[in-house]
Amino acid sequence: MLKKNLKLNILDKTIMLLGGSMKQKLLKAMSVLAVGAVLLASCGTQKVTDVPDDVSAPKSSSASGTGKESTVKPGDISYPLDSDKTVSWYIQDAPQPHEKFADASESPFHVKLAQNLGVDIEWMFPTTGSDGNMFTTTLMADPDSLPDIMTVYFMDKANQYLEDDIIWDLTDYIQEYAPDYYAWLQTNPAYDSAMKTDNGQYYCFGFFREDGGWNDTYLGPVVRKDWLEECELEIPTTISEFEHVIKVFNERYGATFNSAFGRYNAMGICGAFGAYGNAVAGNGWYIKDGKVRFGQAQPEWREYMSWQNKLWNAGLIDRDILTEDDTTIKNKIHNDKCGIAVTSMGQMTNWNQERVADGKEEVWIGIPYPKSDDGEISCVFGGFGIGTQTTVITKAADEETVKLCMQMLNYSYTKEGSLYWNYGTEGETWEFDDKGVPAFTSLVTDDPDTNPMTKYNGTTWNGPAIQATNLLYLKNSKAACDANDTWFYVWPDDEEKNMAVTGGWKWPVGVTFTIEEADELDEISQNIPIYVSESYAAFLTGSKDINDDAVWNKYLEDLETYNLSRVTEIRQACYDRYKNR
Amino acid sequence: MRSPAIKQTNTHSFSKTLAKDWDRNKWKYILMVPVIVYLILFCYKPMYGLIMAFQNFKISRGISGSAWADPWYKWFENFITDPYFPRIIKNTFTLSGLTILFSFPAPIILALLINEVKNKVFKRSVQTITYMPYFISMVVLCGMINVYCKQDGLFSQIAVALGGTAQNYLASPDYFRTIYVLSDIWQKIGWDSIIYLAAISAIDQEQYEAARVDGANRFQQMLRITLPGLVPIIMILLILRLGGILNVGYEKVLLLYNPSTYDVADVISTYTYRLSFPTSGTPMYSKSTAIGLFNTLVNVVFLVTTNAISKRTTQSSVF
Repeated sequence: MLKKNLKLNILDKTIMLLGGSMKQKLLKAMSVLAVGAVLLASCGTQKVTDVPDDVSAPKSSSASGTGKESTVKPGDISYPLDSDKTVSWYIQDAPQPHEKFADASESPFHVKLAQNLGVDIEWMFPTTGSDGNMFTTTLMADPDSLPDIMTVYFMDKANQYLEDDIIWDLTDYIQEYAPDYYAWLQTNPAYDSAMKTDNGQYYCFGFFREDGGWNDTYLGPVVRKDWLEECELEIPTTISEFEHVIKVFNERYGATFNSAFGRYNAMGICGAFGAYGNAVAGNGWYIKDGKVRFGQAQPEWREYMSWQNKLWNAGLIDRDILTEDDTTIKNKIHNDKCGIAVTSMGQMTNWNQERVADGKEEVWIGIPYPKSDDGEISCVFGGFGIGTQTTVITKAADEETVKLCMQMLNYSYTKEGSLYWNYGTEGETWEFDDKGVPAFTSLVTDDPDTNPMTKYNGTTWNGPAIQATNLLYLKNSKAACDANDTWFYVWPDDEEKNMAVTGGWKWPVGVTFTIEEADELDEISQNIPIYVSESYAAFLTGSKDINDDAVWNKYLEDLETYNLSRVTEIRQACYDRYKNR
Repeated sequence: MRSPAIKQTNTHSFSKTLAKDWDRNKWKYILMVPVIVYLILFCYKPMYGLIMAFQNFKISRGISGSAWADPWYKWFENFITDPYFPRIIKNTFTLSGLTILFSFPAPIILALLINEVKNKVFKRSVQTITYMPYFISMVVLCGMINVYCKQDGLFSQIAVALGGTAQNYLASPDYFRTIYVLSDIWQKIGWDSIIYLAAISAIDQEQYEAARVDGANRFQQMLRITLPGLVPIIMILLILRLGGILNVGYEKVLLLYNPSTYDVADVISTYTYRLSFPTSGTPMYSKSTAIGLFNTLVNVVFLVTTNAISKRTTQSSVF
């Protein structure tokens, strides 16, 4: 909702007289801003033109220009780099200055990062109130004046940007100028293959979770434990028990199952039915036995829908669920109209804290994703611990600047740099506790602002770095971390089996379509998401009867007219290439 | 054939007139400059972007670097053969038609009624109260509608009190159009009536006197004098309104619709919006520009047609 509103604000004035002219207008207005910022940045670089490149001093022993046989080892680059250059760096979302700061010059994280790196950084972010995605697109409209470094989401289009000479191919430089990053990628084949194209070209610095996917399962079912106790119910583990809890809560308290739709529509609790995905087509693409399939076209999904429809008809699913968001649902959460839901660990923490603020006790706890009555589960919301954020270096940077940029970006993957990116400056914002684990000082823990650590660190949400699991423990409440454990450890004793359920089924991160594929997908695949989400609503509310074979067959036929087979075929080819990397 | 001599005198006199005109009106011309610059910069220059409708536009390559679409009407064809085409066209015309049918006459009626009120205080309060909703921003307004329409919202509670059942009205395709049109009337009725009230105050009072002498009662006066006096302004506003028949207020639809009401709520502009700013995937600039162009062409046809009809029947027209 919020995102939608922001977009509208920008578009408010531009009445749709001409669809084309409107966008062009916006592009113009915004590229003026962009050009301005870039001009500023380039003014900064003027002064260094006569300075010879000294950034490679620490590893001048390496004669190899290609970096193929690099002798530079992790830890060989010493920081600060003491460069005279100014590098411009655009970040689409995180890490941005905390909302209390007007710009990066007030933000301790950004200021100190430049100091630690020994490079002047000209920061650039989307204008406040604008949509980040759109801002980036607008920047890209003027490829000749891009910032040197861009922290954006380019994976789908990597081939296009490489071919169009917009971003640097880092392959020849990575070992020499980003040895720590390269070493990190080698620790896990999944990391390495996610960060390059099918041709083996490295093009970006990525975001990783140290936990390898634990926090990717930050979403799951939650329940009021006081009600469970009052009704003398156990924590539900199977779908029948889950349904029973909803029923009992409904009879006893008049409560329903409810969720912010944006949190429920991705997966819900589809795993109990052997299904993949719920109302969002993008989440429906999954891999089984090396084959790409579409979750919302499978019979298991039909079963899952049928179950949801049954609950809807019985009045057990809140009638507002399709329009519910994190704000509106609080009305029901705090007025005892909901006792079981699907939400994120962050939201659950909020619900509990708001209760405490009202003088009540914390009652919300995470419960495991329900399994089928046979104890089977196909998937839970999750991932591999690899983010989709990509930090790329644009062709605005000359070869010397690229080397410098890579050394800057390498910092967060070094031991020292990783501590800075996760916690800030030692002695100021954090110290090792008696167990040798970093802990925030009172500077952070006593700060009443929301998420105060984001003033000093860069990995709370996203960033070209490795997010420390400990940071998540520091940031979130105990109940929330327990909930995350509950959701993630579906098969606590079998790591491989657990991985298959949490991340193994997922369409991998870092897959790159060829230019032709991307173009074709743009043309033919637009209708599937719309059709799936509206069909979901129709099946849920019963305006189309999911149990009627004719309706179901018509739905499958319609998906076919929206090119489902062809899209699957393209994705399969793309996935196969990814597997062969 | 005219002789060159005459032509020359013509130009001569033209430049003379021009000089004279400049002398007399130069400040007016200078005042016009900003507006003209504005129009060129923001209305004419962006039309250059329409080229995108005929290209396979890629943002990284720009308009000059992108390849031409093959065939040139590729994106228009793509739009018209789109399975969603019939639905969004139908919805656009329905919503637009309903708005014109119901919310266009509403302010006229309100203006006529307000005009008959003699109590000054009452008149002013009614005017103020009715035009207040116009100043609520669309986002807030839709937020209010959202809350009122919920399962336990205002409307449901009223329905229950009257013996009905509670439901989420926005989640039901049956109510979307009603909600859309009624809230449109509520928001704009007061504001739109101002122009009619102004027109009414310009009607010659002697006509009313004459009518009273002839024994016309107030209702007859309203029907025979006030309403005909309003016809020119009504026609002009109607022509302008029909010229924008495909421009359904996309912000409002965007803020009010959800997957369960796409079927009745999805209109051309929301469709274009989704193509241009998708939640995932690449923005389809070429196709959305093509749709924008298509939209404009249909609007122009409507504008010209209504104008012609109005010119013939009521002698009032925009151009």
